[in-house]
Order: sequence, then C-alpha cells, then structure tokens
Amino acid sequence: MLNVLIVDDSLIIRKNVHKYLAHLGHKVIREAKTGAEAVEDCKELKPDLITMDITMPDMDGITAVAKIKQFDKKVPIIMVTSHGQEDLVVSALKAGAKGYILKPINEDKLAKAIATIFPKYKIQEDDDEFLDD
Amino acid sequence: MQKTKCSECEKDILLPIVQRTLSFLSENMGVHIISQDAQISFMQKVQLKKNTVMISTGGSIQVLISMSYDDKLLNKLMESFLEGETVALEEFDEVRESVACEVINIIIGNALINPKDDTVLSISPPILIQEAKSLIKHKNSKIALSAIVTDFGDLLITVIGTKDLFIDDLELKEL
Repeated sequence: MLNVLIVDDSLIIRKNVHKYLAHLGHKVIREAKTGAEAVEDCKELKPDLITMDITMPDMDGITAVAKIKQFDKKVPIIMVTSHGQEDLVVSALKAGAKGYILKPINEDKLAKAIATIFPKYKIQEDDDEFLDD
Repeated sequence: MQKTKCSECEKDILLPIVQRTLSFLSENMGVHIISQDAQISFMQKVQLKKNTVMISTGGSIQVLISMSYDDKLLNKLMESFLEGETVALEEFDEVRESVACEVINIIIGNALINPKDDTVLSISPPILIQEAKSLIKHKNSKIALSAIVTDFGDLLITVIGTKDLFIDDLELKEL
C-alpha cells in the first residue's frame, strides 16, 4: 500500500483520484489544493507518491515539482494534466516528474501509471498509456 | 519567429475546441449530441446561461474562452463525473461548480492550439461566473461562438479576442 498525496485545485478530480486510489488499495494521506500546499504537505508527510495537477492558483504544478525535488529527490510525482501541449509536459519532466497522465483520468490509467513506477503493483501488461521519462 | 496574420485566430482556436467538446460529451460523458452549429459565427452579443465558466490564455495569443451550460446538462455532467457516487447535500454546489470548471479545463487543455506561431499557450485556472447575462462585443474585439445542442440542453462555447490579438491587423509596430 502506498501513502499518496493528491494535489489538484479541482474538488471533483480530488474526489475521483481519491476513490480510484482507495479502490486500488492505497491510502490518501492528504489532498492539497495548490502547489504551495503540496510543498508543505510533502515536507510534513513524506508521501510514497504524489499526483500533481499543472494549472493551479497560487503555485503551479511544475514549480511545485521543482521545489519538492529540492528537498526530496526520490518521491515519484505523476502529473495529472489536461495539457496535451508537449512543452508543458517536458517542463514537468525536466523539473523532476516521473511521468504524466492526460485527463480525463480514470482508474485504469492511474493503475497503469502506478504500476510503471512501482512494478509490484502491476496488474496488466499493457502500460503504454502512462508516458514516463 | 515569423508571425502570421491572425485575423481569425478566434475561429482557428474555437474549431478544435468544438471538435473535442463533441467527442468528450459523447464518449466520456454519455451525452447524445442532437445538433451542433458547425458554422462558427462572429457575434455582437452572446446571451450567457446561468452556469458559465471562463479560461484565459497566455502567451502569444490572449483570448478568453467561455463555456455556458444549461442546468440540465451540467447536472448530467456532474452525474457522469461522480460515476454513481452520491455527494452530501452541503457539498453539492461545490462539486457541481467543480465539474463545470473541470470540463472546460479538460477540453481546453486537450484541444488548445496556437494558430499564430508555434509557441505554447498557457491557460489560467477556470473561473466560474455567476449571474452574468451577456457578452457584448467592444470595438477591437471579436466574439466567435459555437452552439451545441444535446439531449440534456445546450452548451455555448465562445472565444473572445482581446485588443492585443489584433496588433498584426492594425499594423502597429513594436518600438
């Protein structure tokens, strides 16, 4: 079981990601609404995994990834984003994200992304929807 | 970078958004499309619906993009997002507003292109507008509109070009 920090300013996305993670047997240790909250929560809670939106008020997800990586190089971060624009995704990967899931998100996409990072949670062979670095 | 004339940028931006909206509604939300106004119109005035959300773009093109939903359609979208889950009464409005914002965020994020040059356009977090009644064109601005009719009501999509967008057309030169 992974301890997961969800970062998204959208309530419905936080709810759905929380539901998918719980169904996959993981524990959501906190939900953050901004990049700034995520940085503080990460320092305090030391999650095993972070799911991170890109476009958020206060501090965007790419900046938050870069700040988190300054004090925790190991925590894997999955960007959950609607942006199909390659440059933004590349920026997130350069900042230290492990990969990204394109919204709309569903449980299957999330499970495959987690399995790519943590092979022991692999449930299917086909994991090509998660694009890692 | 060579810049091209962009007198119909709003239309070029709106078309892929409309296409993505149609596929998102029908394939992801279970909404049947009755008709779509495939012709994108430039409007003087657009009547907004009660539930309107806006996103602005940043970068080489600054436009406002809005989606205006009928109540029944927004309720259906909320039902689809919840995937059979129920929400507490005290949370209902917040979840519903969140769905309105997330739909435009997903569609614009998936479909936004930059017809002017190859640079990336950023998008703002969505803003929910309540009680607004209409958009009225001001000089040096344009409003492009597409209306989608579904079995749960209408969705209006507008792209509003701001004055900055027309620098090329006005042949103003940067000093």
